[in-house]
Amino acid sequence: MKFAQIIHPYSPVAKGTGQHGVVLPNRLKFDGARKQALETSRNRLLVTGALFVLAFMIIGGRVIQLSLNNVRVDIASNKLVHVDKILKVRADITDRNGILIATSLPTAALYANPQQILDLDEAVGKLTSVLPGLNPSKLYQLLSKNQKFVWLHRNLTPKLQFAVNALGIPGLNFQQAERRVYPHGSLVSHVVGMTDIDGKGLSGLEGYFDNQLRDRRQPLRLSLDVRIQALVRFELENAMEKFTAIGAVGIVLDVNTGEVISMVSLPDFNPNKPITAAGVAGFNRATKGVYEMGSTFKLFTSAMALDTGRVRLADRFDARKPIKISRFTISDYHAKNKWLTVPEVIVHSSNIGAAKIALEVGTNTQKRYLKRLGLLSPARIELIEVGAPLSPDLWRKINTMTISYGHGIAVSPLQLSLGVGALVNGGVLLKATLLKLGKESKLGGIRVIKGKTSQVMRDLMRLVVRQGSGKRAEVPGYFVGGKTGTANKPGKRRKGYQTRKIISSFVAAFPTNAPKYLVLALLDEPKGIKETQGLSTAGWVAAPIVQKIIRQMVTIVGMEPSTKTEKKIVPGNVLFIPPSVRSPQKLTSAHRQLSDLEKKVDELLFSTNKRRGRLVATN
Amino acid sequence: MLFSQHRHPELTLAEKIWQLNWSLVLLITSTASIGFVMLYSAANGNIEPWAYQQMIRFAIGLVVMLLVAVSSIHFWLRYAYVVYLACLGLLIVVEFFGATGMGAKRWIDLGFMSLQPSEFMKVVIILALARYFYASRMEDVERLSYLIFPVILLVAPTTLILLQPDLGTAILLGASGIAVFFLAAVRMWIFITGAIAGIASIVPIWNFVLLDYQKDRVLIYLRPERDPLGAGYHVMQSKIALGSGGLSGKGFLAGSQSHLSFLPEKHTDFIFTMLAEEFGLIGGLVLLSLYSLIMIYGFAISLRCRHHFGRLLGMGITMVFFLNFFVNIAMVMGLLPVVGMPLPLVSYGGTSLLTNMIGFGLILCIFINRDVTLRPGAADR
Repeated sequence: MKFAQIIHPYSPVAKGTGQHGVVLPNRLKFDGARKQALETSRNRLLVTGALFVLAFMIIGGRVIQLSLNNVRVDIASNKLVHVDKILKVRADITDRNGILIATSLPTAALYANPQQILDLDEAVGKLTSVLPGLNPSKLYQLLSKNQKFVWLHRNLTPKLQFAVNALGIPGLNFQQAERRVYPHGSLVSHVVGMTDIDGKGLSGLEGYFDNQLRDRRQPLRLSLDVRIQALVRFELENAMEKFTAIGAVGIVLDVNTGEVISMVSLPDFNPNKPITAAGVAGFNRATKGVYEMGSTFKLFTSAMALDTGRVRLADRFDARKPIKISRFTISDYHAKNKWLTVPEVIVHSSNIGAAKIALEVGTNTQKRYLKRLGLLSPARIELIEVGAPLSPDLWRKINTMTISYGHGIAVSPLQLSLGVGALVNGGVLLKATLLKLGKESKLGGIRVIKGKTSQVMRDLMRLVVRQGSGKRAEVPGYFVGGKTGTANKPGKRRKGYQTRKIISSFVAAFPTNAPKYLVLALLDEPKGIKETQGLSTAGWVAAPIVQKIIRQMVTIVGMEPSTKTEKKIVPGNVLFIPPSVRSPQKLTSAHRQLSDLEKKVDELLFSTNKRRGRLVATN
Repeated sequence: MLFSQHRHPELTLAEKIWQLNWSLVLLITSTASIGFVMLYSAANGNIEPWAYQQMIRFAIGLVVMLLVAVSSIHFWLRYAYVVYLACLGLLIVVEFFGATGMGAKRWIDLGFMSLQPSEFMKVVIILALARYFYASRMEDVERLSYLIFPVILLVAPTTLILLQPDLGTAILLGASGIAVFFLAAVRMWIFITGAIAGIASIVPIWNFVLLDYQKDRVLIYLRPERDPLGAGYHVMQSKIALGSGGLSGKGFLAGSQSHLSFLPEKHTDFIFTMLAEEFGLIGGLVLLSLYSLIMIYGFAISLRCRHHFGRLLGMGITMVFFLNFFVNIAMVMGLLPVVGMPLPLVSYGGTSLLTNMIGFGLILCIFINRDVTLRPGAADR
């Protein structure tokens, strides 16, 4: 018991026992410990108390702050604040030259307090006489509601507002409002998007820059040129009608800055009438739609093959027989039945050749290049509507082969444009932008291929327009280079392909000696007509659109035709494409001889210099 | 009167009643009365369904509080662990047989009322920890092994409550338990180490323990604008209501946010907002002042108490009470994430009210027995 008295630090009994006189060493220690313990305990109680006080100050302060932060001082100043808020209108949107694309007009919104309306019949009669657009029976119904607030009309012109006010009906009131107006109607609909009835951005740039447009006073200046936009839309609409296509996409890019000069997706809608955006019309095919692009992908295949150095231009690939791999057969549309060089693979658009080139490149390298070219991730652009590309989860050999000619991978037209832009602009992938860039600011890009490879790609694309499937895109003096892409649309439920439903596209860059612009035209499910000999392939339907766009836009951007003449490509040049043996009536005798000679060389080499299924030309 | 010296160790019942700290009882009743008024308003000027129920419960609670107050402090010391084990048992029962409401198992349905054992645990854990530390010496608390048992005492119910899942109550339980450790003079470095370990465990807790709705609440606390119509709705509406009250409020029964049902849970967790909307800054500060007076009483009674048991118990209960209303008020004002935490004495809810009343009963009991001597071993006799 005594022990307990001593050791317990807080026992009041321990205090008055009078045993302090006995000085023992361990007692001293206990005494010290007791003091320390008492002090610690006291201190901690005080610390806790201090924390309480602090916490009280925090919540007390917060109560005061929240309660008093919007105390109404007097009604007059409160009104001022109110007016200021409403005067702040949404910023305008203009094109790169300052042409108005979207603006806001101040209007008056009419509302009523039905409980204050004295004579219902009189009110309905008077209102419909001034606003004939209102349905009398509906109005009657609205005004007899047991509510204190109903909207009657959201956008009154000042004149109408005056007229309604002059009616002198009690219970009617106005609120300042604004109405978003798009002077160009559907021309830039998919890019600009639209706002809802309360002025909140719903889609397109209006949605993406909603907060900025509310806050800023300066207009938002876009990279678009409405003049070029207009002609692109015009040509696409014509072609769509001509070939009874279900949709069309047109894109014009500045390949050196990444600025989007024009972007059209058809069908489109009129943002002034939001109801028109319902359904497929509201779908932006240029950025949200992803499609298997077909042969345009051969550009990527050859670029990566040349860039890695695993394939040289003059290397030849056996395209005589369709490739059979498991249950698939890869065959050519324009079968040439011979060994093809890389330029020939591109110009004749040989699937077999492309697949073989891809096998040389290898799956991993193909994947790496496609990723760097931005084809495996959604394009970055200032729009809400951006579609994610579809690519195989499991990338097998067969995938490598089909992807080489643009099947088994689906990308958006914008992604394709940016990727091809990187191939021709010197090898740098830029970020697309819809905003006009200053003179100095250039968007940082990432290098994806060597400058030298880019040079070769331009030559190859030029070759397609000079001698290949892109002849109908030629505009004299502008050295247009491009590539056709005709792809079968995948069947319903992702099984197989539909032979009659195709996507025809043409992607072009010009001038190929120093590319400035890229133009893409794509038609969704075009049908052949007499004029095109019943064909709806890209060379027939998409290339002419691009040609028309380029021919007209050069005058707008002030680009003069070059007076330089291109060098003729003669036999011996690696870019030389021997005329097709299947149209002998067009061959000159010299050509025929050469062709025969080449056949002999082929046979000779085939027997002697075969390496891994690839024939190497010895020159 | 409050701090007058009473050196009689054992008192008769009449003496005890005479000794009762009636001013604290008055404060508690006033605070609860504010609750009745607000519950009357929350039902749009009806005494049903909340105000009447709450008054009955308060009357019962008052009786229980006074009974606890005049009980023997030795009883609580002796049976602290028994009470603890009973409460822990209830928590386990809840875990397996509890009624599920709003996605969590928190209640035992007794037919005439539903019981929420986790509420009781708030006070009982303090009792158990105070029992453990009441006779500890400096050398004891410096030994880590000495702390193993109380840590288990604390961790077991906290884990069970976390499983219900009720993050708010679990954190409150943990925090008040740690406060008792702090008051029991556990060395500072242990707290510092614990804090560091706690911070380090944030990442695994976030990834594996927290449920999506809890993550949501934390994220929305950091940025309520993220989701003004969803999970951020409560706080946004609450702030609007608080702001619209102004200095003197919109008047009784005239709070538009509350009465037009913009404000959720206005009779429970968000009752403070309604008070501030209808009675303004003045109303809010009056309630805060009442709370601080109750706190000061709890603090002073603990400080004045001559035995360690009473001091730890009183301070611990004061702490629980404080954390309860602090977390609630900070939550409705957007200073803390939204965790389900009622405003003590004011919010509608039987178990919470009863728990607080029992807690105040213990504080009153400590006051009556402030000069009693509790020696080591007193718990075992």
